[in-house]
Amino acid sequence: MINPLESNLSRKEARREKHRQVQDEVYEQYEDLHQQQESYVLGMWTFLVTEVLFFGVLFVAYMIYRWQYQPYFFAIHEALNIPLGGLNTVVLLSSSFSMALAVHYAQIRNKNKQLAALGFTLMCAFGFLIIKSFEYAEKFQHNHFPGPLFHLGKEGVPEHVGELFYSLYFAMTGLHGLHVIIGIICISTLMWLVYTDHPILTDYIPTELIGLYWHFVDLVWIFLFPLFYLMPR
Amino acid sequence: MSSNATTTHSDHGHSAHHITPISKLFTTFMFLMALMAATIAWYYFAATLPNSPLMSYVNNIIAMTIAVIKAVTVIQIFMGVKYSSNLIKTYAILGFVWASLMTIMFIDYSSRRWEPVKGWTPEAPLAMPRDHEPAELGMPPRNEIKIESKGH
Repeated sequence: MINPLESNLSRKEARREKHRQVQDEVYEQYEDLHQQQESYVLGMWTFLVTEVLFFGVLFVAYMIYRWQYQPYFFAIHEALNIPLGGLNTVVLLSSSFSMALAVHYAQIRNKNKQLAALGFTLMCAFGFLIIKSFEYAEKFQHNHFPGPLFHLGKEGVPEHVGELFYSLYFAMTGLHGLHVIIGIICISTLMWLVYTDHPILTDYIPTELIGLYWHFVDLVWIFLFPLFYLMPR
Repeated sequence: MSSNATTTHSDHGHSAHHITPISKLFTTFMFLMALMAATIAWYYFAATLPNSPLMSYVNNIIAMTIAVIKAVTVIQIFMGVKYSSNLIKTYAILGFVWASLMTIMFIDYSSRRWEPVKGWTPEAPLAMPRDHEPAELGMPPRNEIKIESKGH
């Protein structure tokens, strides 16, 4: 094994060489590569469990209030834009698919295709936020954002119930949107690391972990969409 | 525990992790899209039957069942839990244990009133009222509320 620092390789080549050397490196606290990789994935799942609880309480609050104010909630939900919500579901499902492809290409070490798949995921994430911002803008225009200016203006529906609905709507979709933004930061960082052959990437695990996170973001939307947009009478 | 589990895997070396084939991923993606189309199509179909139970609780059951099927598909295939060790599977299930506690929570809420606030209301409303009860004190019973629908 040559030491890239001592040879007369360029900086970029030296980094590539270092990257090749550290691939599939097993750190001393692990018995083998499999155990090392599994412990990383397990750590990510531990985090995801806390995330499920985080969103879970909001879902429970939503369900209790929807039960209590069902006829009013139905009348209010008709103002939501189902085609835009549906389009966002398509965008997120596509991004989840491309993320799974990125993990696949990371496992078989196809760098270009991995970057392409990650790039598509990133584009979908931005697309989701842009579509969501159109929906939010419409709500702000009609003064549907909870606060002193809130005005529902729907005959037969008490204002405070409308405010409750939109509080839940903005809290839950807003928290989900925040997760999408964090996802964008993670995916773009990962793309930069993959592109530069950074030595920190010793195997496919970083892609796998960010993939798990991204699929979780998709999971939350899978439940948010029918609960808010496709409400029964 | 994990050291015992991994010694059996150590023989496989680098091939220990499962690589999901692209065809499988694509089929899963198509399945998810079909389910999404089905849940939206059902919503619009049921909306044409305003007074039918198909639009009320049946719609709810269908929408949530489809959501659960989609979620399980994503977790099993995209997140690879199906091909993971039992330890990872346990953690994936652990995240949804609260859903069973939710049943107990709903029994609690549906059988009691909100705590009354001193000096505000003499009597607090039911937390999860039945159809013939008002959503809040002073409101009409829930099944008598008629609000003009957009009628899509």
